[in-house]
Amino acid sequence: MSSSRRSRSRQSGVPRITDDQLAHLVSKLQHLIPELRRSRSDKVAASKVLQETCDYIRSLRREVDDLSDRLSELLASTDMDSEQAAIMRSLLM
Amino acid sequence: MASFIPNLESAPDTCPEFKRRKRRITDEKPASSHSHQRNQRIKRWRTQREQHIYSSKLIQALRRSRRTSASSSAAKEVHETADRVLAVLAKGTTRWSKAILTARKMARHKKAKVAANTRLRKPAVSREKRKTPVVQRKLKVLGRLVPGCRKLSFPNLLEETSDYIAALEMQVRAMTAITEFLAGSGPQPPADRLASNVNS
Repeated sequence: MSSSRRSRSRQSGVPRITDDQLAHLVSKLQHLIPELRRSRSDKVAASKVLQETCDYIRSLRREVDDLSDRLSELLASTDMDSEQAAIMRSLLM
Repeated sequence: MASFIPNLESAPDTCPEFKRRKRRITDEKPASSHSHQRNQRIKRWRTQREQHIYSSKLIQALRRSRRTSASSSAAKEVHETADRVLAVLAKGTTRWSKAILTARKMARHKKAKVAANTRLRKPAVSREKRKTPVVQRKLKVLGRLVPGCRKLSFPNLLEETSDYIAALEMQVRAMTAITEFLAGSGPQPPADRLASNVNS
């Protein structure tokens, strides 16, 4: 209650985040990260959750990098013709 | 006779309790519907249908762009194409997807669009003293990892991060499947396969 009164006096409409809100948001983030989902504990520190989030995003992008590398090789060598493309589309759809 | 009795309930606006309650309700209502939309969006990334749509569009885009690429930067082009198709699929609802598309447009047309966007973007109030410097620092790093999210407040950054991670996970699944398909039905001429079967 007191924090909302304080935020109203600021020039922009962005409310100041409370400890509870921060903890809630951090726990939501925690559920996105496979590493942290496995540990049943709800009390992972905010800094650790953020660190794991950053690491996870980086690892995902690295995976896409490797996949892009592999894909570019495969595309160059197979020279996918229209028939293969049609097969793939039908498999995917 | 009945009309003489004042109906207190007919004028609730004058009651200060009600006013306070009303304001709180209007404050909360858009947030809850917004978060529902957000959850629906994130769930979409996890559906098979979305992955199929993405794979199909990615393959089309890769076939179109392959003719122009040199082998040294081919991998980078594939990655950029994969990101662009991903961003298009997001249908302009998230900051990260808009940032990816804007960056690409910038590279092509060399217009100062990014400069204009940063001017229009509202700077987030970052005076949350309750967070430790460590947390602040890591938030900054996260903001740099998610495209277009450098100056977002934590709640908004979280929203973008959730969507971005779900989209990236789908991107990995889709590209893995495509790679496995291409590697499997690769340049094996059927005659050889037949010969090895006969010999064994």
